[in-house]
Amino acid sequence: MAGGPRAYVCPYCRTGIAGDGRTCPSCGAPLDARLKQTPSGWTELPGARDMARIQCGRSSVQIEGTTVPVAAFHLAQGDSVYFPHHELLWKEPAVAVTQRGMKGAWKRIMAGLPIHMLDAVGPGRIAFSRDAAGETLAIRLEPGVSIDVREHIFMVASHAVAYEWLPTGVWFTTRNGDETETHYPIGMLMDRFTAPAEPGLLLIHGHGNAFVRQLAPGEPLLVKPSGLLYKDSTVTMHMHVERPRASSSIWTWGERYLWLALRGPGRVAIQSGYGHTHDPGGAITGGVTEHRW
Amino acid sequence: MDAHQRIVCKWCGGQNDNPTQCAFCGAPLDVQNLVSESGWREAPRLRDMAEFRFDHSTCQVEGEIVPVVETNLAPNEWVYFEHHCMLWKADTVPLTVMNLQGPKRSFFRMPHIVTIASGPGRIAFSRDATGEIVVLPLHPGMEVDAREHAFLLASGRVSYSYVRVKGLANILHGGSGMWLDRFVTSQAPGLLVLHGYGNVFERRLAPGETIQVEPGSMLYKDASVTLEAEAIKLSSGFFGGTSMYLARLTGPGRVGIQSMYHHHESGE
Repeated sequence: MAGGPRAYVCPYCRTGIAGDGRTCPSCGAPLDARLKQTPSGWTELPGARDMARIQCGRSSVQIEGTTVPVAAFHLAQGDSVYFPHHELLWKEPAVAVTQRGMKGAWKRIMAGLPIHMLDAVGPGRIAFSRDAAGETLAIRLEPGVSIDVREHIFMVASHAVAYEWLPTGVWFTTRNGDETETHYPIGMLMDRFTAPAEPGLLLIHGHGNAFVRQLAPGEPLLVKPSGLLYKDSTVTMHMHVERPRASSSIWTWGERYLWLALRGPGRVAIQSGYGHTHDPGGAITGGVTEHRW
Repeated sequence: MDAHQRIVCKWCGGQNDNPTQCAFCGAPLDVQNLVSESGWREAPRLRDMAEFRFDHSTCQVEGEIVPVVETNLAPNEWVYFEHHCMLWKADTVPLTVMNLQGPKRSFFRMPHIVTIASGPGRIAFSRDATGEIVVLPLHPGMEVDAREHAFLLASGRVSYSYVRVKGLANILHGGSGMWLDRFVTSQAPGLLVLHGYGNVFERRLAPGETIQVEPGSMLYKDASVTLEAEAIKLSSGFFGGTSMYLARLTGPGRVGIQSMYHHHESGE
């Protein structure tokens, strides 16, 4: 593709491509699909077309299936990918798998994150899938770009993508009698992926369908915490509580809504198959902004 | 098309007059097979309400997310199934229980009741999960092993047994557990219907060819394919280091996997 005509810009990954195939070689999105945009500004991220092929340097990945898609990599000699160990579906015996050193393993254990991150080195084929119905989303990272991914969303990344994890900074405290408890609705930590020098490929799994929108500088948005998939690192977030006007002071926790407040600029992606966000009850004593209608 | 030309279904090998759908497994015949570059073939995506036949009875697959298999049993024909897979039935369809070694199966968390439904009448089955129906018409003299709890129903001409996966490593570590259901046809053809979690893919291994799969993803295989658990050493350490376990499958024969792997023992 390099050096060829670039007549088409993929609306999902913004890569200039020739547009002579059925799918975008950078993210697997169908080329003939009309951009599905809601009046509220969400763009539906297309699950990769069945058997879509995505080129990643000298290696490639094919997305197979539609209900619980499989990402099957064909790794070139010396190319590698890394992944949480439980994402592995099958591999050729020739593909070597080794454990990646992870700093701060104890903190990851405490935060409930996987501590076994594995490297697979080519040549050979290896495939991954997530044990849930949804979409596999391919995100091409340009040099210098970072995105933050909520915990347990990450499937696999190419070796050109650097990985670190950082505190979410999203928490709130409740008081129950003399006890104060701290809660992390999107987890204590989240994954940050950066392409330092060359383009890289990141695959994540969204439960249900996935949608993305671009927030303008300062533009606010409230989403259900468990609905967040990923965001640009420029997007800030914190917890926000809303209480309906009819709320009685007697029912201090029965009629309140816990939101993840996001503020642009940058991209935000959500999934429709969110899990339940547990409200622990009790009076909220800190870590949130609040609005009473 | 030549009026005398028959279309061979590439999934089950059945010969068809109808150019759009296989009469023996319901696979669409007018769409291209989806085969990945690595050689996995997607199980045919059955059209909603696809109908096919076995013996004098018929089967219809209804729905696409959590599909239902509805059978219309002819007189004196019967199917058997794990009792919890039954969705509904006509009240005229009698049920009996297959004679199995119940306590032994219960001990190993296999369903100890396999139920028989006899025709005439209608009865429907579904498994309580998102996935695909895999229809495997069995020609005479075939042996197919399916992972525990994967089979939805089998026709009466298919004999049923279960085999232990040999090797202590399988007992301790293989996600596919200790037992596989074995379905065998002798002189007559039969029908086996499985449910796979997520999407289902099939691959034919050449003699001696091997593939390593996540143990929970193994759905079915020809009996000629051997299955053994294999430890992959990831790191070494004072307490023995870290290992992960994969299932090594060695040909010749077919192997079917599901993308939404499932570990019954761990409940994951």
